[in-house]
Amino acid sequence: MTARILIIEDEALVAMELRFVLEDLGHEVVGTAADARSARALAAETEVDLALVDIHLSDGATGIELGRELGQVSGITILFMTANPGMVRDGVAGTIGVLTKPTDERAVQKAVDYALRRRKGVPVDYAPPELQLFG
Amino acid sequence: MPAASLAPHEDERLKALRAYGILDTGPEQAFEDIVSLLAEAFEAPIALVNLIESDRAWFKASVGTSGMTGSSREVSFCAHSIASGRDQLVVPDATTDARFADNPLVTGEPQLRFYAGHVLRTPEGHALGALCVHDIKARPDGITPLQSRMLEVLAGQVMAQFELRRAVKEREEGVKALAESESKFRAIADSMPQMVWSTLPDGFHDYYNARWYEFTGVPPGSTDGEGWNGMFHPEDQERAWARWQHSLQTGELYEIEYRLRRHDGVYRWTLGRAQPIRDEHGSITRWFGTCTDIDDLKRMEQGKELLSQELSHRIKNIFAVVSALIALSAREHPEARAFASAVRNRINALARAHEFVRPHSEVSKPTVGDTTLHTFLGALFRAYADGDGRPRVRIEGEDATFDDQAATSVALLFHELATNAAKYGALSAPGGHVLLRTRKAGDRFVLTWTEVGGPEVSEIPARTGFGTSLATLSVEGQLGGRLERQWLPGGLVVEADLPATALSRRRAALKST
Repeated sequence: MTARILIIEDEALVAMELRFVLEDLGHEVVGTAADARSARALAAETEVDLALVDIHLSDGATGIELGRELGQVSGITILFMTANPGMVRDGVAGTIGVLTKPTDERAVQKAVDYALRRRKGVPVDYAPPELQLFG
Repeated sequence: MPAASLAPHEDERLKALRAYGILDTGPEQAFEDIVSLLAEAFEAPIALVNLIESDRAWFKASVGTSGMTGSSREVSFCAHSIASGRDQLVVPDATTDARFADNPLVTGEPQLRFYAGHVLRTPEGHALGALCVHDIKARPDGITPLQSRMLEVLAGQVMAQFELRRAVKEREEGVKALAESESKFRAIADSMPQMVWSTLPDGFHDYYNARWYEFTGVPPGSTDGEGWNGMFHPEDQERAWARWQHSLQTGELYEIEYRLRRHDGVYRWTLGRAQPIRDEHGSITRWFGTCTDIDDLKRMEQGKELLSQELSHRIKNIFAVVSALIALSAREHPEARAFASAVRNRINALARAHEFVRPHSEVSKPTVGDTTLHTFLGALFRAYADGDGRPRVRIEGEDATFDDQAATSVALLFHELATNAAKYGALSAPGGHVLLRTRKAGDRFVLTWTEVGGPEVSEIPARTGFGTSLATLSVEGQLGGRLERQWLPGGLVVEADLPATALSRRRAALKST
């Protein structure tokens, strides 16, 4: 199951590593955005299945609102990836859950698989343990 | 001539006498009337209200003494009255009485013969002096019962007058002391950096100190009653009013933060506190309150909170960047993959531990449960859950909190144990699991790691890897504890025996000072 994935992350090294991991898994990374404005632009001009969203971006803690909007308005499946999961402790409507950084390839792979299965409506037994689900 | 002996408790008697504030005061009609009436009723030339001080007799009122205002105590008949211990003393003829026969007032002018006196006794029993009559003729028959009664009643009247005077004097002193304490209170209140106010029991404001008027800039008296509420920020008025009404109704301490308008129109965060003053029956007689400008403090706190959040974010982000850097570097060197993965996992365990370290700000708190050892270990071992998501490292026993000094060691120890178990031990076999027991034992904290259901242990591994050294170093070097490994046939058992304070050294240090 391959997908078109948008990485929203302001740390270039973290974004680059994530891109390699996702490409190794056969996904297509449609772009990398470091702030909310460029993320919206990318989401508007290209088709995106899944976005991995950091909360603290180069323009501040704009990730939460951005994730909510892309999930609810643009119909993109949203997974938060942050070093500060406490910021989304109460969950964000229209998004799946949060993965705590730093993490590893295996956890990213399982979380992305899980999110894409949910997007396709494929039944999933249980979520990977590293992923904290909302609601 | 034997002088009258001193009454017992003479010092106290003198103190009581002076407390009435009568000595050496001017003539007063009430006493003059009494001695005139007495002299007339006894048909005697002399009558006195006579007070006995330490060395003299002093007449508060007198008739027939030709301007004398007193005498020495030695020659005073009344001094004998009070020394007698009885209420009345009657001397029919002084010339035949051993106590008075050689008294100069008897042998010389005015040649006193007859004496009848009634002691002036305070409610506490002290004899201040006597009300008396003198005649220059002897009266062999003494006095009639009616005369005795008259002496008694009039002496009572004199004492009543004295009591009245003492009460007035005490009241005047009380008023003076009150005025003094009031001016002291105002001086203290006005020199305070805080605003001070007071209300009646119903909450009517009737006092503010100088600082209140200085801060608010309102004219004195303009915020009496309920006018104070208008000084609050419109958004805070209703809340403050409700809180204040609640305190008035219940008598509970009033404490609230609100924005108060300063004279320049700027609203400043203020801490308002008040407590009731109660009388001996427990009824509230007044409320005293203060307003403290906490605006600067609040700003500083917010700044500090922001800074610590920012630092916490950065620290966690650095772990993420380091972890990514290791993974990226290993891509160029496929032969280093296993090594990079091991380092990365250790870094990730450290990062996870720091998420659970205290203290936390409201925002940096982790998403799950409390920030305790058990919740952290649960999160660390989540990756080793079985196919149904059930944990394979089961944690039991007493929980504990840990701080940043212990975080690295705890994270590395359990990361190494779990990694090894997944490679060679109980977690490498499908049905295997680990039991992790934690318990407090006096001043020790003991963690026991027991592997169950893994491959049978046939011999103690000959070579110790870096991971094993890391675990030992963490416990014995950093935490000051002891780490013991036992390769039992059923699986590895590891016991980490730590000083109870090792997990929160900073807190333990704070407690002991």
